Amino acid sequence: MNELNGMTCAELADVAAELALGVLTGRERAVAIAHLDTCDACREDVRQMMGTAERLRALLPQAEPPAGFETRVLQRLGLPASVAQGGQPGQPGQPGQPGQPEPTGQNARPPQAPVRKDGPRHRRAGGDTARPGARQPGAPPAGPGARRPGRMRGVLAAAAVCLAIIGAGLGGWRAGVGSAPAASQLTEANLVSTTSQPAGKVFYYTGEPGWLYMSVDMGSGNGAVTCQVIGADGRVTTIGTFMLADGYGAWGSPNPGNLGPLTGARLVSANGTVLATGTFGRA
Amino acid sequence: MGFMGTASERQADEGLLAGLGAGDAELAVAFVRRFQRIVFGVALAVTGDPGTAEDVAQQAFEQAWRHASLYDSRRGSVRAWLTTITHNLAIDVVRARSAVPMDPDDLPVLLAAMTESPERLAVANDSAAGLRRALTRLPVPQARAVAMSGIYGMTAKQVADSEGIPLGTAKTRIRDGMQRLRAAFLPEEAGDE
Repeated sequence: MNELNGMTCAELADVAAELALGVLTGRERAVAIAHLDTCDACREDVRQMMGTAERLRALLPQAEPPAGFETRVLQRLGLPASVAQGGQPGQPGQPGQPGQPEPTGQNARPPQAPVRKDGPRHRRAGGDTARPGARQPGAPPAGPGARRPGRMRGVLAAAAVCLAIIGAGLGGWRAGVGSAPAASQLTEANLVSTTSQPAGKVFYYTGEPGWLYMSVDMGSGNGAVTCQVIGADGRVTTIGTFMLADGYGAWGSPNPGNLGPLTGARLVSANGTVLATGTFGRA
Repeated sequence: MGFMGTASERQADEGLLAGLGAGDAELAVAFVRRFQRIVFGVALAVTGDPGTAEDVAQQAFEQAWRHASLYDSRRGSVRAWLTTITHNLAIDVVRARSAVPMDPDDLPVLLAAMTESPERLAVANDSAAGLRRALTRLPVPQARAVAMSGIYGMTAKQVADSEGIPLGTAKTRIRDGMQRLRAAFLPEEAGDE
């Protein structure tokens, strides 16, 4: 039994569900969190409860939003809403191929200026961070209930950095989205290891400029790896290096489009060994 | 907690989210189309008002856009992440609107909607089907308490007031109900219930 600030493991178990659901308040919540800070078993208990809460919310029935919803969302984001008019508003949740809506018509209203606020996490007053037990999207959980072991935190930090690199690398492109070409297309390929095991996924966007995003999960392995792309003429070009932690990593490059059409991509270790290969058109 | 969708679907979702975060209009449309029914459904279930639900749903997509680069695939699927964002926003709106987050008469309807199991869904997602069964088998008072807290974000005190029961009873119902639902995923614990 682990005891801190007067809360025992048994007492924590009594409130674990409330904590995981984000409805535990006041001193009771503070004491529970203090207990979790030093008790791995209870932390795991709450983590499982949080998973159950997520699954519970996933049972909520889906509902068709009002007509024009996606157009209004795009306008809210300052993106060209004309792209949305190519599809059917309210189209069911499993769409066709990503990146292939039919851009038709013109937006009757000019899109708003981009309103994205980079920098510190933007929260509105009284937003979800004010809620007991609430978690910031994409940020570490409010309570230590979902804290990960130190080793895993390193993995997650690496992944977050990779995603941040993608965002930064596409910054210039973001400013030019108003003229996104209609012919652009997102293709994907499964990364397959040399032993024919799934090793992740690679996405290739053929817009102007294009980008490539690689999500790797090989199960094990640490250190630097290199991303190479394979052109239509078979030429292999190295376009970047990133780190794997416990076999996991994600990385993106904003500008592989100047290499011409690509037939695939591959992951190469620091000593030049090919770890995995993906062929576009076979995903 | 990667419980929803295949690995391939999850990675495709991540690709769309990356496109949304980068401001690509076409990928943003694909992302919205993929998740709008889920997002709007959560918002509508919690707020009970289509107009409010649309505003919440729009806010949710805006949040996803703002925080796309912070999404962490190891913490769960894009769908779960987006659902959590929507749920938090919806609860905030409901709490700001009224001290009573829900009409108790709405609970049976909500629970029925959550536990009905179309064959298509049961086949597509065994995990969800298992939870539906577990939710169906909960004693009604526990199911109500779980829904009040888990869906409407009500504290144990609010559950107690709404149900006209002592606070301790409300806490016990939430705890026992959630433990039983969790046991649906942890077979080794099922015998302990």
